[in-house]
Amino acid sequence: MHLTIARNLYKQMIFDLKAFLLNIQEFFFFSVRAFVTFPKVRTYWRDVLDQMTICGTDSIPIVLVSSISIGALLAIEVGNLLEDFGAKTMLGRSTSISVIRELGPLLMGLMLSARFGSRNGAELGAMKISEQIDALRAFGTDPVAKLVMPRLVAALIMFFPLTALSDYAGLHSAAYLAEHYHKLDPGIFWNSVYPRLLPKDFVVGFLKAPVFAIIITLVSSFNGFSARGGTAGVGRSTIKGIVVSSGLVLVANFYVSKIVLENM
Amino acid sequence: MIELKNVCLSYGEKLILKNVSLKVQDNTIKAILGPSGVGKSTILKLMLGLIKPDCGKVFVDGQDITHMKETELYDIRRKMGMVFQGNALFDSLTISENIGFFLRENLKLPEDQVRKKVQEQISFAGLEGYEDLLPESLSGGMRKRVAIGRAMVFNPRMILFDEPTAGLDPVSSKKILSLISSLRHTSNLGAVIVTHIIDDVFNVADCVAVLYQGEIIFDDVTEKLHDSQHQFIRSILSDKILEL
Repeated sequence: MHLTIARNLYKQMIFDLKAFLLNIQEFFFFSVRAFVTFPKVRTYWRDVLDQMTICGTDSIPIVLVSSISIGALLAIEVGNLLEDFGAKTMLGRSTSISVIRELGPLLMGLMLSARFGSRNGAELGAMKISEQIDALRAFGTDPVAKLVMPRLVAALIMFFPLTALSDYAGLHSAAYLAEHYHKLDPGIFWNSVYPRLLPKDFVVGFLKAPVFAIIITLVSSFNGFSARGGTAGVGRSTIKGIVVSSGLVLVANFYVSKIVLENM
Repeated sequence: MIELKNVCLSYGEKLILKNVSLKVQDNTIKAILGPSGVGKSTILKLMLGLIKPDCGKVFVDGQDITHMKETELYDIRRKMGMVFQGNALFDSLTISENIGFFLRENLKLPEDQVRKKVQEQISFAGLEGYEDLLPESLSGGMRKRVAIGRAMVFNPRMILFDEPTAGLDPVSSKKILSLISSLRHTSNLGAVIVTHIIDDVFNVADCVAVLYQGEIIFDDVTEKLHDSQHQFIRSILSDKILEL
């Protein structure tokens, strides 16, 4: 009896492991296909522009809200801590490094994973379920070139200005709170920001933009393309896309910082 | 001509098609009749190369497409138009954009030629006045006519219909069937119709293949269906609609 249960469990584990490895392999080929279709960007430039609006312009409010909030919170909490050590004048330095290197790009990545990634997963999943992706193939159109490549190109272009916007809004909200909450002179705040920021701080922050763009677009699109099982299947694939891409964004955030800071 | 030779296919552990062989000649309307879930739509997808068989071969105009790459299949697929069971219209495009999609996307025709061809299909399908609406605004029968127009617009030699009248009211079904019948007379097209409604077969098909339990149990001209002594065929001739 126990032996049978153990054997069944072992079989199930092997089956799950095989399915996982097959999924990774399919994702790898899907990603390669997305990059290989880059030369078709001239054919699909209208789709690229549409996606730039969706992932760029339309995402500005959510990026602003998150970066302003985190900049303000950082200014309050770090300011309180520095005040205990009599080092409140270092507030600009502390918040600017946190925002530009880490929190600005990270929050933007997580917000876009939720917004752009969920849209990709749901839209492509619905197209898969309603056979629209099969229809594209049946009419001789490569669905990856038509649907995934424009999203990837748009994200690679638009994540840079969004990162800059996130940094800008986060820093300015921190400066505003430093002046009005901690009664710190703006000159002192900005003087502790500018002279101490190094090129590597910007490299760390802005290198994350293309990494996040690739992760979010490919993971969410792949999950949309893999949707099956009706509307519930679309929901499942969308959630899976958001969860996996958010997790990978967090992991990538750590490794990009580590690699760049160790080598610059 | 499309030919399936000894094709087998399974989904997971379930064997769908067992050694299926089938020929579809040009300029004829062939029906594939069988109960739901027996693998009829799968046959259409095999003909288009959308899925690969586990064994056996698929030929289009004598060319073996079984192991062709996706990019090589695009030229083959341009010989055939497909009308999906759920129509598979692009829901963010208007009716005229749906019909003109292939012309703009793949043939890169000048805009005035695209408009002319789209207008021809809109008139043929009786959809005048609906050009700028989205598919969600149309009835089931009208959506089906849009799907037929989209499949015909690039002058394919063969159109594949997946359950063309399923879920439609009798009036819409009749319109769709007369549209299919008129294809051969006006455009000299061949067609493959997958259906579980035997009346549709007698109304439009020149020949019919009956798929039962993953095997072809009858493949001949439609009139000879009455002569078959197979128990399943006798039962569907008396029941008319297959709900097994």
